[in-house]
Amino acid sequence: MSEISPEVPDNRQDAPSHVDPNSTRITKPGVKRLVLTLSVLFSLVLGFPFLWKSVEIYRSSLPFGEISEMESNPSLSFPCRFQAVFINFNSNPSPNHLQLSILDKITELTSNSSQCGACANDLALSVTVDSISSCTQTHPTDNSNYYRCGAISAVDFDFSNDDDDGVDELLESVLGVKNVYSVVVVNGGGEGIRAVVGKYRHAWIVGSVEEEEEESVLVSRVAEIFVKMFVNGGTENGLIHGEFMPVGADRRIVLSFNLLNAEPNDWVYDWDFQRVDETLLAPIIKVLGPIANISVESQVLYHTPKSSFSYWDEKWKSYIFSTKDLPFFVNSNEWHLDTSIAAGGRSKILQFVVYVPSAKECPLSLLLPTGEISKTNGFISPMWGGVVVWNPPGCLNSETNHPSRHTMSREDLQAVFEVFMGQFRQLFGLKSNNLYIGASGTYHLLPSGKGFTEWELDVLSRQFACFNLHSCATTLGSLSRLSLPRMIIMDEIGKLVQFSLEAAKLAQSNASLGDNESSAVSSGQARSLAEDAFFHPSIMSISYYSFEHCFAIYSPFFLPVSMHVLLAALREWKRYKQEKAKYTAWKAKVKVES
Amino acid sequence: MLADDMACNARNKYPAQVFNNENHKLNLYGDNVEVDYHGYEVTVENFLRVLTGRHEAAVPRSKRLLSDEGSHILLYMTGHGGDEFLKFQDSEELQSHDLADAVKQMKEKHRFKELLIMVDTCQAATLFSQLHSPGVLAIGSSMKGENSYSHHLDSDVGVSVVDRFTFYTLAFFEKLNMYDNASLSSLFTSYNPTLLMSTTYYRTDLYQRKLEEVSVTNFFGSVMETIHTDSAYRTTHSRKTSETKMPLQESVKHDERRQLINSNVQDQTSDTKIEDKQCPFTRRWNAFQDKLEKIERIDSLVNYGFIIMFPLLLIIMFPLLLISTWLLPTFVS
Repeated sequence: MSEISPEVPDNRQDAPSHVDPNSTRITKPGVKRLVLTLSVLFSLVLGFPFLWKSVEIYRSSLPFGEISEMESNPSLSFPCRFQAVFINFNSNPSPNHLQLSILDKITELTSNSSQCGACANDLALSVTVDSISSCTQTHPTDNSNYYRCGAISAVDFDFSNDDDDGVDELLESVLGVKNVYSVVVVNGGGEGIRAVVGKYRHAWIVGSVEEEEEESVLVSRVAEIFVKMFVNGGTENGLIHGEFMPVGADRRIVLSFNLLNAEPNDWVYDWDFQRVDETLLAPIIKVLGPIANISVESQVLYHTPKSSFSYWDEKWKSYIFSTKDLPFFVNSNEWHLDTSIAAGGRSKILQFVVYVPSAKECPLSLLLPTGEISKTNGFISPMWGGVVVWNPPGCLNSETNHPSRHTMSREDLQAVFEVFMGQFRQLFGLKSNNLYIGASGTYHLLPSGKGFTEWELDVLSRQFACFNLHSCATTLGSLSRLSLPRMIIMDEIGKLVQFSLEAAKLAQSNASLGDNESSAVSSGQARSLAEDAFFHPSIMSISYYSFEHCFAIYSPFFLPVSMHVLLAALREWKRYKQEKAKYTAWKAKVKVES
Repeated sequence: MLADDMACNARNKYPAQVFNNENHKLNLYGDNVEVDYHGYEVTVENFLRVLTGRHEAAVPRSKRLLSDEGSHILLYMTGHGGDEFLKFQDSEELQSHDLADAVKQMKEKHRFKELLIMVDTCQAATLFSQLHSPGVLAIGSSMKGENSYSHHLDSDVGVSVVDRFTFYTLAFFEKLNMYDNASLSSLFTSYNPTLLMSTTYYRTDLYQRKLEEVSVTNFFGSVMETIHTDSAYRTTHSRKTSETKMPLQESVKHDERRQLINSNVQDQTSDTKIEDKQCPFTRRWNAFQDKLEKIERIDSLVNYGFIIMFPLLLIIMFPLLLISTWLLPTFVS
């Protein structure tokens, strides 16, 4: 029953009965529907931040500040401790004067090379002049490691025969201290100056020097030994050279030794590798422990012809191939060398190949551009390995119609392995011969049974540590700059980065203390961890969560609903405004009439 | 990477052989051909993983690109393609920006010194339009808006055997021998647009060296950089062998252990350590377990257990039975 107010006979009642429902209304417009739709809209809008947070890409926070700091300064500074001992100099030069002149020469020689690890900041030199009558020394800061007067005398140097090994052992027993490099200069002996660098950390120069002006010659030779040998390792290479750092990212090297029989129908050669592994390779592997974890494999292959050609030369009575053929020598199609199962994906494999030519090409010799025949018949390819061509004995004269099996003799195997040792050293950037020709003179380098002398190992450790740290810094920098903003970075990667930075810091502190080996080990770990982080298989651009992807997933849920809710709210709002306008119009009319 | 194994396809009339010419002179699937990714393994993801080096740890070396900062890489891609993409397996696409990104990451990680990209698809030149990294040389068989065509149909096998760009590239190399010093510019200018029915396009703006000076063996032919070994490294070992015999015996033992798998050695050492540290309870428990293991017939033990159980039960339950049947009712009622 609708309520109808009783008719009141009034003039004013004429106006309500003619009210136009389209433009006026009597009662206030209701707000229930508006409140309803607006509340639904607001709840939708309120939920939006929660949705955004829930679809956020999880990015483990990388320490960008530390990474950029390390990238700008990835250097190691090793301290250098040198000492020079002058024996039997009757003119008694002043040690301080000698010290100054040697230091001058050293700084002159190190100024043009900016090798990492050189004694840039921390250099100490102590000079001793020891003769029969007196002994004077400059004052080093740390007395215990340095030479004690009277420990060596001129009679210890037997000048008649060149017993370098004996002198070396004697000096080692006197001077053998870690981290201190020594040069002993002895006045005596025959004509001229002879300089020998030993197997440990010392060298000696023997010469008869009577006049004062020859002192500067000695000074320059001493400085050259210090800088060119003990600091630079006898090489002229730049430091951060990846070409001579054949260590895999996981600090492992696999040495793969292959004996290749080119034509088994002519002859088949075998070798006693086990013995060689135990006697010759084991000490080398032990000594390179801080630098890399080395394992050894060997195999014998058959039917492995080479792909380059050779021609018969009457003068040398052998088949000749030249250095122009060397790039084509390794026949990657037929030589299945990389069959190692022990090597992991990130290890470095170095191939050492002994090539036994066929009867049609035997003996096979390498002709050098100088016109001589090579003594080693071998060559290396950096970061790959080395090849030696070994000709079976008496192959020119033999008439073999049937395949014959032989084993390489001990002497031949020994000779081949000496060439391999030289090639191994070449692969690490060192020279394979025993002579160094410097600016001031020639130096004899004593070879070591372990393949590397101790000062060479120091140089390698320092260079590896530098290279590893540099590589670690650039890898981490690249990782932090990967321009994929919606890429998932897992916690594991963040942890790897953190450990890598810690290892790098440890390497830097070890280096400043002078500990080459542990610095090489920790820098290797730093590089390995950084590479694990960068090459983590989850960082793939194809699988990152693009914005289009996110939109395509969530829009079917929210877009239709939100569209309807929005439209409804807008409609209700419009209706409310209309009704409100009608009400205010009526109220105004009523006011006017009253 | 070969998506389709044409050589071993059931409809191939010449099994295990793929020819580039209808005269069937050259078998491209010879004895020495190694295919690392076959069939369904050929995906855009695997391709990008090979380029960037981001594999799982278990992926073998033969499926990885083992290059370093001195390597020269040849990347040759052929198939169907279009504007800024290359088709993979009829279902996926490799976009030009993905390729450019992968090459940029390779350069940052020093995975190559020089890279040559050859693309033989329709609108091939668009695929490398987004490259920015230095040291990259790229050539495509056709420009944007052009198609690349196949060369001829082998009516014996029933399919077209080779595309025009590939055919003329192979023809160029068949004419060369090892000692010719052909340059890359001679290769790039050897393509005749009339014969190819498309215009080849190459970009050299990212490559520092001049094409006339670069030999084709820079990228083709698996040619290595070599350095001669001057001398062997000889030591005066005659005295040394007698001196070092004693320590060598020890080192031989170490070597034998070294030849074992490392994990075994570690397990042994860790086990011995654990035994020393056990407390009495665990030691007794372990002894009990050892004894149990020594009993051979477990079934009989179980049976004995059952047999022993019944009398035990009776002994325990009897008083309770008594109480419940006789004593309790009297108390209750």
